[in-house]
Amino acid sequence: MLVSRLIKIFTSLRLTVILLAFAIVLVFVGTLAQVDEGLYNAQTRYFRQWLIFGLDLFGHKIPFILPGGYLIGTMLLLNLLAAHIYRFQLSARKIGIQMTHAGVILLLVGQLVTDMMSRETQMRFVEGETKSFSESPQNYELVFTSEDGANSEQVISIPDKLLARGGEIQNGNLPFMIRVNNFWKNSEPQFRAPMVQNAPPLTTNGIAVSFDFRPLAETKTMDDKNVPTALVEIAGANGSLGDWLVSGWTADAGMIEALSQSYAQQLGADMTRQIISDLTRPQSVSVGGKKFTFALRPERNYLPFSLTLLKATHTVYEGTDIPKDFRSRVQLQNPQTGENREVEIYMNAPLRYAGLTFYQYQMTAGEMAESAGEVPSSVLQVVRNPSWLTPYIGCALVAAGLVTQFMFHLVGFITKRRTK
Amino acid sequence: MRGLRSIAILLTALTLAGCGREEVKIYHVPKDDSAAPEQNSAAHPQQPQLQWALPDGWQEIAPSQMRVASFAVTNASGSSADVGVIPLPAGENEIDLINMWRDQMQLPPTTNFNPETVSVGSDSAKLFDIASDAAIIDGKFRARILVAMLTRGPTSWFFKLTGEDSFVTSQKQTFLQFLKSVSFVENAPAQIAAAPAAQNETGKSIWTIPSGWQPADPGAMLFAKFSISSGGAKADVNISSLAGDGGGLLANVNRWRGQLGLNSLNEMELDHLPPTADVPGGQLTLVDFTGADSKTGKPAELVGAVVPQNGQTWFYKLMGDVAVVGQQKDAFIKFIQSADYTNAR
Repeated sequence: MLVSRLIKIFTSLRLTVILLAFAIVLVFVGTLAQVDEGLYNAQTRYFRQWLIFGLDLFGHKIPFILPGGYLIGTMLLLNLLAAHIYRFQLSARKIGIQMTHAGVILLLVGQLVTDMMSRETQMRFVEGETKSFSESPQNYELVFTSEDGANSEQVISIPDKLLARGGEIQNGNLPFMIRVNNFWKNSEPQFRAPMVQNAPPLTTNGIAVSFDFRPLAETKTMDDKNVPTALVEIAGANGSLGDWLVSGWTADAGMIEALSQSYAQQLGADMTRQIISDLTRPQSVSVGGKKFTFALRPERNYLPFSLTLLKATHTVYEGTDIPKDFRSRVQLQNPQTGENREVEIYMNAPLRYAGLTFYQYQMTAGEMAESAGEVPSSVLQVVRNPSWLTPYIGCALVAAGLVTQFMFHLVGFITKRRTK
Repeated sequence: MRGLRSIAILLTALTLAGCGREEVKIYHVPKDDSAAPEQNSAAHPQQPQLQWALPDGWQEIAPSQMRVASFAVTNASGSSADVGVIPLPAGENEIDLINMWRDQMQLPPTTNFNPETVSVGSDSAKLFDIASDAAIIDGKFRARILVAMLTRGPTSWFFKLTGEDSFVTSQKQTFLQFLKSVSFVENAPAQIAAAPAAQNETGKSIWTIPSGWQPADPGAMLFAKFSISSGGAKADVNISSLAGDGGGLLANVNRWRGQLGLNSLNEMELDHLPPTADVPGGQLTLVDFTGADSKTGKPAELVGAVVPQNGQTWFYKLMGDVAVVGQQKDAFIKFIQSADYTNAR
C-alpha cells in the first residue's frame, strides 16, 4: 500500500511541475541574492543547499522555507528515474522518448557530479618561472614544512576552515600543538611605520614586529578576496614556544603584488622592496632539533608535472587599449612520462592534460607592464572536472531522442496520408 | 524499487565524496629553494649606537624595522603609550613630517608651528607637541604625539612618544628626562642589538628556574614568562616589574581577582589576607585565590606574589589549572626566593 503510494507520488507528472515551479522561484531568488551576497555566497546559500530557511533580499529578511538546489535536483532525478523505470516499454516507437529521458538524467547526474567533484584552482607565474602546483582562489592552508631528506620536504597542511573553528590543533606528525587564539577571515596588513605606531605589537615574534594586521568585514564581491590572519600559539611538550601571527598576506603572490603596487605609489620602489621582503620572510620554530617553517598560504594542489611560463603576450587592437589576444607559451615537462613540449594557451584554446584543463585567465604583460617595469606574468585557471563530457553527451542524447521521436511521428503521418 | 535503492546509495556516495576536505593533510614535495631569509627581530647592526637610562615604568621591547629602540610605557590603570627612536637621513622635509603626524591626529596641514627647545643628551633638539581634537583611540580617547627631532651629522634622530592624550601628558617630564639621558656612542658594542630584558636568557641569570618550567615569549608587557604543562593541564608564570609600588598592592590584588572572576576586596579585607615570606632584601606578600579563568571559564587557581625591591615592585603570578598550580606552588616560592635582582636590567 505504502509502496504503491510512493510509486504514484514519485512517478507523477504533478511532482515534476511542482519541482520545476520551485526551481523557477529558486533561480529567481538566487539571482537577486547575488546583488547583496556575491556570486559565490549566493551559490553556496541557495543552490548548494538542501533546504533554505529564510531569505535575505534587498536588506529584508523574509521568513520562508524553500527547497534548495540539491533537494530540487535530487527530487527531479528521482522523479524522472522512477517514471522511466515504471513506465519503461521496450518498443521502437518509444525509443526517442527513452533517449530524451536518458539525456536529461545524464545532465542532472553530471551537474551533481560536477558540483561535488570539480575543483577550480589557479596557477600564477612570471616569465621564466616553473610551477608544479596550482592554488585555490579562496581557501588558505597553514603549512608546517620540514626537511625530509636531501631534496625533499614534508608539508603538513591545516585548512583555514579548521583554524576558523579556533581551539587546539594536534597532529601525530607535529611535535607541538597549535592553539588558535584569534582568527580573522578577512584582514589587512599595516606596516608598522616608525611614525604610525601607536601601540606595542600583538606579539614580539616574527612578522608581528614589522606589521600590524587588523580585521576587516568579510567581503562578498567577486572583485575582492578575503585574506585571513590568525594569532596562534605553538606549544611543545614542555610548554609554550610563543605566539605568532600567520597571515595570507605573507604568501599569496596575487595579494602581495597588489600590496606592493599600493606601497610603491606611496613610498617609492626601494622602500617597498624592503617592506615586502620583510612581509614575505618565512617564520619558523625548532623543536627537538627539527626546524619547521610555517606560513598561511593559498591552498595548494601539487601536480606530477610542471609548467614553465616562456612568454606572456598581451596584444591590443592597434591605436586602442582594447585587448585583442592574451596568450601564454608554456613548457610542459613530465618526469614520469618523459614528456617535454611547448604549448600555447589562449582564449578558447585551453590545455587539457592529466584530467585538468588550463584556461588563460589573467595577464600582466604588454606595454603597460613594460612601462611599469614589471616582469610579464600570467594566471591560468586550472579546472578539474571529471564529468566535463556529460553535458555534451546529455545534450546530444536529448537532441537525438527528440529528432527520432519527431521522425517517427512524421513518417507515420506521411504514410497515413499516402494510404488515404 | 531496486533501482530507487541504487540511486539513493549513489547519491549518498556522491555527497560523501564532496565532503571531507577539512582535514590535516601530509604530503612530500621537492625542496623549494626560493625561500627568502628568515624573519629575525634582531635590530639594525649598521645603525648608530645609542645609550640611555631607562625611566621607571618603561619597558624595553624588541625594536621593529627602522627603529633602533622601542619602549612600552604602561600604568596600573591599563593606559599605555609607545616610545620609538628612529634615525632617518638628514634633509627630510620637516614640514612634511610634522604634517604627516598632524594627519595621523586628524588635524589639517599647517606651516605654522612653534617647537619647544629640549635637550637630547648634550645637544639641543626641537620638540613638537601634536594632540588630536577628536577621540581617535577606540573612539573614546584623544591622542597625543610628542616627538623630539635632533639633527646630528648626516642623521636626523626622532624620539617619539605616542598614546592617550592624558597619559602622554603625564609622561612628558619622564620623556624629557629620558631624552637628557641619551648619549651617542661611536663604535660602541651592539647594546641595542641585545635581546630585550624580557627574554629568557636574561631571566636565567636572575632566578634558578625549576625543572619543567619552559621559558616562553613574554610579549611586550611582561619581564619574563614561563609555561608549565603537566598531564595535559597547563599553568603560566608571569613576571612583571613596575616603578614605585606599581599602583599599590590593593589595585594589583584586585586586578588578579578580576582575572578569576572574583569580587574586589577593600583595604580591611586585604589586611586579613596576605601571608608573607622572607626573600633576599625584604619580604614578599603572597595571595592565593581560586575561581574561574575569565578568558576560558575553566576552574583556575592564582598564586600571586608582590616583592618591593630597590624602588621597583616585582609582580609574580602563577595561574592555571588548579592541580598544576597546587603542585608548583612550593617551587614557585623557591623560584622567587632565588632571585638576584642585581642582574635585572
